[in-house]
Formats: sequence, C-alpha cells, structure tokens
Amino acid sequence: MENATPNSVGELLVQLTDVRKSYFSNRVETPVLHGINLAMQRGDFMAIMGQSGSGKSTLMNVLGCLDTPTSGTYSLAGQNVGTLSRAELAGLRNRTIGFVFQSFNLLKRMSILDNVALPLIYAGVARKAARERARLQLDKVGLGEYASRQPNQLSGGQQQRVAIARALVADPPLILADEPTGNLDTRTSADIMAVFTELNRERGQSIILVTHEPDIAAFAKRLVRLKDGLVLYDGPAREGLRQMQQDDAKDRASQDSADEVNT
Amino acid sequence: MKFTQLLAESAGAMLANPLRTMLTMLGIIIGIASVVLMLAVGDGIRAFINKELAMLGSNLVLVQSDTRKNAGLRPRTGSVQTITLDDAEALNRLPSVAGAAPMLTTFSQISYGNDNNNTQVQGTTPIAFKIRNLRMAKGNPITEVDVASASRVAVLGKKTAEQLFYKTDPIGQTIRIDNQSFQVTGVLDNEGQSFDAGDIGEIVMVPISTARVTLIRTASPRTVQYVVVQAKNADGLNDMVQDVKELLRDRHRMRADDADDFRVVNFGEFAKSGEAIATGLSVALGFIGAISLVVGGIGIMNIMLVSVTERTREIGIRMAIGARPSDVLWQFLIEAVAICVVSGIIGIALSAALAAAVTATGKFDMSVGFKAIAIATLFSCAIGVFFGFYPARRASKLQPVECLRYE
Repeated sequence: MENATPNSVGELLVQLTDVRKSYFSNRVETPVLHGINLAMQRGDFMAIMGQSGSGKSTLMNVLGCLDTPTSGTYSLAGQNVGTLSRAELAGLRNRTIGFVFQSFNLLKRMSILDNVALPLIYAGVARKAARERARLQLDKVGLGEYASRQPNQLSGGQQQRVAIARALVADPPLILADEPTGNLDTRTSADIMAVFTELNRERGQSIILVTHEPDIAAFAKRLVRLKDGLVLYDGPAREGLRQMQQDDAKDRASQDSADEVNT
Repeated sequence: MKFTQLLAESAGAMLANPLRTMLTMLGIIIGIASVVLMLAVGDGIRAFINKELAMLGSNLVLVQSDTRKNAGLRPRTGSVQTITLDDAEALNRLPSVAGAAPMLTTFSQISYGNDNNNTQVQGTTPIAFKIRNLRMAKGNPITEVDVASASRVAVLGKKTAEQLFYKTDPIGQTIRIDNQSFQVTGVLDNEGQSFDAGDIGEIVMVPISTARVTLIRTASPRTVQYVVVQAKNADGLNDMVQDVKELLRDRHRMRADDADDFRVVNFGEFAKSGEAIATGLSVALGFIGAISLVVGGIGIMNIMLVSVTERTREIGIRMAIGARPSDVLWQFLIEAVAICVVSGIIGIALSAALAAAVTATGKFDMSVGFKAIAIATLFSCAIGVFFGFYPARRASKLQPVECLRYE
C-alpha cells in the first residue's frame, strides 16, 4: 500500500462506462441500471442520491465490488473489475475500499480492537502488527479507551466511528459509505459527517456517500442523482440540491393541481 | 489469514455458545473414548496373556501318550503309556529343543506333624525347573544326583509350604508323602496357574525316579505320563513341533499311515484364543466407537450448517472487508476441526481416567499408549475435515451482497 499513493488528488479512481445491471428471476430480466456513466477522481467527495427503486443500492454494490455489472465496464483504481474472480474481488475490496454501513456491521463476538484489525488480518498482516495499527486508528476516531469492549457496549455513534476506523485501517483509496447516518440521531449524524468531511479535506480521502437525506448529501462536494437506473444529475452538490428542491416543489405543485382536478 | 487468527476465531465461536458446543462434542467424545479404550483393552489383554504365559514358561508344548484305536476301541488318553524316559532324552537332544522334562504326576496326601494336605505331586528332572521358569524362594531345586540316586527329596510349592510349616523354615524338615518320608530341600517362588497341575503354589516336586519307585506305578519301568518340551525360541515353535513328531514316530517305529500314538499340546494355542478374545473385544468397542463417531460427525455437520446460516451476515461483512472465499472456507473448516480435536482430547482424557480406574482395581492392567493417542487425534481431525468441509464450502460460496441483506 505504501507505493500506491492512495490519496493523490486528480487521478481517476472510479470509472463506470455504460454500466448495466439486471436481475434475473425465473428467467425474467429485471433491468435496474440502464447504462451508468460515471467517473470520479481521487480526492473527491461524492454523494449518490435517489429514491428507492432508482438503482441506488445496486450501483452501491457494483461500486463496492460486491456485485459485478451485467454489461459495461467498471474500473476501480486502474483495475477492470469485470474480469476478476471472487477471490481477486475480495482482495481488491480489501485493498481499495473501506465500507461504512447503515447498520454499522461490526462483528458481535469480537472486541472493538479486533473488529478494526480484521481488514489487516485479511490483508495478511500479522495479528500483533494488525492490532497495533488498529489501536492507532481507534485513537484517531477518539475511541482508543474502548478497544477491549464489545460492539454492543457502545452507542450507535460510537459504533459508527469504530466502523469508520475499520474502513480506514488498511488505508484504502476509497471510502464507500452506505447511509452511514441512517440509524443515528441528528446530532450524532452531524458528528459522523464531520468526520468524513475532515477526512476528505485533511487527507484528500475519496469518499462515496449513498444517502436519501439532502442534509447529509450537503456535506459532499459533488452530487449524483439517480432516477430509474440512469444518472439524472451529476455536478456540484449545492447546485444539485437546489435543483432537487425545485423539482420536488414542482412535483408537489403538479400533484396538488392534479388533486384539484380530481376533486 | 494466519493460522493463529483462525484458531482464535474458532475458540471465540465455540465459546459463544458453550452448551451447544458441548452437546455437539459429546458424540465425538464418546466415539474417541471408545476407540482409545478399544486399543487399551486389546493391549491390556495381550499383555495379560503374555505375562501369564511367561509365568508358565514360554514356548512350551506338552507331549503325551495318545491311544491308538484298537479293534474299534479307543481307551482314555494317558491310560496307555507310550512315551518313555528315553523318548524324553532323545527329545532333549533335538537341536530345536531347549529342554525336555519327563513328568510323572499323581495326587497324594502329604503331611507334616499334625497338618496334612492333598495335592499334586510331580516327579520330574532338573530340566523342568529351567524350562518351566520355576524359581526358588529358598533352598535348592532337584538335582541330577537326586534323580540318579532316587533320593527322597521334595521341593514344595509356596502355598503348600505355608500351609504345612507356617513360619517355620521348611528346609531340611521331613514330610510324609503317601506315608513315605521325604526331606524338603527347597521352596518355589512361583504363583498362579500352571498348565498341567492347577495352582503352581500348591504342587510338590520330587525326582522322577523317586516318584516311580515310591508313589506312582507305571506300566513299564521307563514310561512317563508326559514330557514338557520347550522350543529354543517362539519363531521356531512350529518347526520344533514338527521335529518332535518326526522323532517320536521314528522312535516308535511307526509306518507312514499309522496314526500318532502321542499328542502334542501347544500352549501357543491358548495365546491364540486369548488373542481372539482381545480382537473380538476390540472389534466390538471399535464398532461402537465408529458408530458414535459417525453420529457425532453428522451432529457436527448439522451444527456447522446451522452456524453458517446464523452467521450469514457475519460472512457478508467479512467478505465485504476482504475475506476471500478460501478465508471463509478455512474459518469454518478449522472451527469444525477444532471442535473435533477438543472432543478428541476430552475423549482421550476420559479413557485414560477409565483405564487408570480399571488398573487401580489391580485385576487388569490398562494403559492408554502413545499409539492410541496418536490414532485418536488423527481420527478426530479427519472427522472434522470430513464433516466440516461441506458446511464450510457452502459458507464460502455465499454471495456477499445477499449475505449483507440477510437479517
């Protein structure tokens, strides 16, 4: 990882070219992504928004190398993801992506420290060294004193910080946060988002944030809006959010007039 | 993923649900314990038989007169005496024979002072002491001179000596056998059963010549009841039996189609039947063990499958943060093997405790040997791998996306 310069700004980190994804059940094809084109440079902080059914989660899974596109190419950190085996995908996830989930997804039976150390263990780092690095990372998110606790002894906000520490411990170029504040109250959400913002600003950490809350998306630099499996908007976050507000207002207005007609 | 990490994770998984783990292990524990006990019982019986045989004197055969059918009548074995002192001497000179002792035995009343006793008296030669592994507690055995001069001397079995003399020293005392006086020259140290005279502690030994003159009437002056013959070594026993038969047929001038007028009783046969008992017991215990191991193995497979389903989300998380399918496979496989190995160790400990308890009763020596431990450990590993592989493989084939969606 030392020579990979994960956080050098400007390099192309994520590139999706006409990515399509369909699910099949009983041979019936249900297309979810209809051709997504998306590029992201290192150092960017991108929010992905969209209503349920927009293909948000599917795109998230593809971006996270948890799922592969049905067609189109996805290259992550210069690697063409489509050609990789399951084991290679696992290695790629391990090296290049740090996941932060809505439900924290810490392993229950393990201590906080071991949870944070786990990505390093899978990277082949010796147990002792992995624990040392995990401890440093825990200190950085301000939870060093909780290292020996179990996840369920921590509050939601603390657990999410642990998850962030786990995502960061192997120093991956990309953080992928899927509704990271979905299970948290407003104040804690703001704290967590502050952590992401700081990471992006101070270290140039590339972050992709999936959310449905405009307040949360407002922390990002860039906004990608999805609708029906296509990119509806891709641009600066502030501009995008304003547009979205207008769209919503328009929708509401037309809805209201439609209601009036009906009555 | 490093092995130590895998072990630590297995320990964590096993301790997460101790009761379930314990119940899962029970089948393997019982199976391994019975396999180890099987080996211990087999070894114990073999050792016991060997010890008993060594006490009797090893590699012995008994040559006794056998009766030929005569006009359709077959008289009782030994009632016609065909083996002579000269046969015994000739046998003694065979290269494959370590020693051959002619025997004349009878039941007689022996007495000393007011005490008397009925026991077996054996007339024999000094060779008997050597080949039958008789040791002297005190005094001297019967000598060639005693035999040549038909001295009235007797060597007493340990128990007989105690019964007649209590704590007095029997050496040099005179006892009466069938009302004839004999001087005691020695006392035997041996205990236990002999192959021809019941309890060896109770016998009385006298020179064969004296026995013939004073105690036992024989058909002719040189016939004996039987000869005890020892082979030079265990491997040569069967060859020696062949030599013995050829020599005796030759000496008795028998034609090729004549039946033997003697019988060779091989004590190795007893060892063989003991061996058969040991093997039978081993097979029975081994069968129980095998069934228990298979049932236990299925139990482990079942629990591992449940565990994989329960931990679907965990598997998804692990895969998301970089666990390869092989990492997941190893994790669950090592867990199954760890359960089996821990069960194996408990099973070995259990059987060692049982063996120690049996040994403590003093009737039968049982010990759990290194071989048994090695076999049991290897076996339990194999069961873990065999029954753990399918669940582990199933876990490794799970798709991370679906696992993460699993509640």
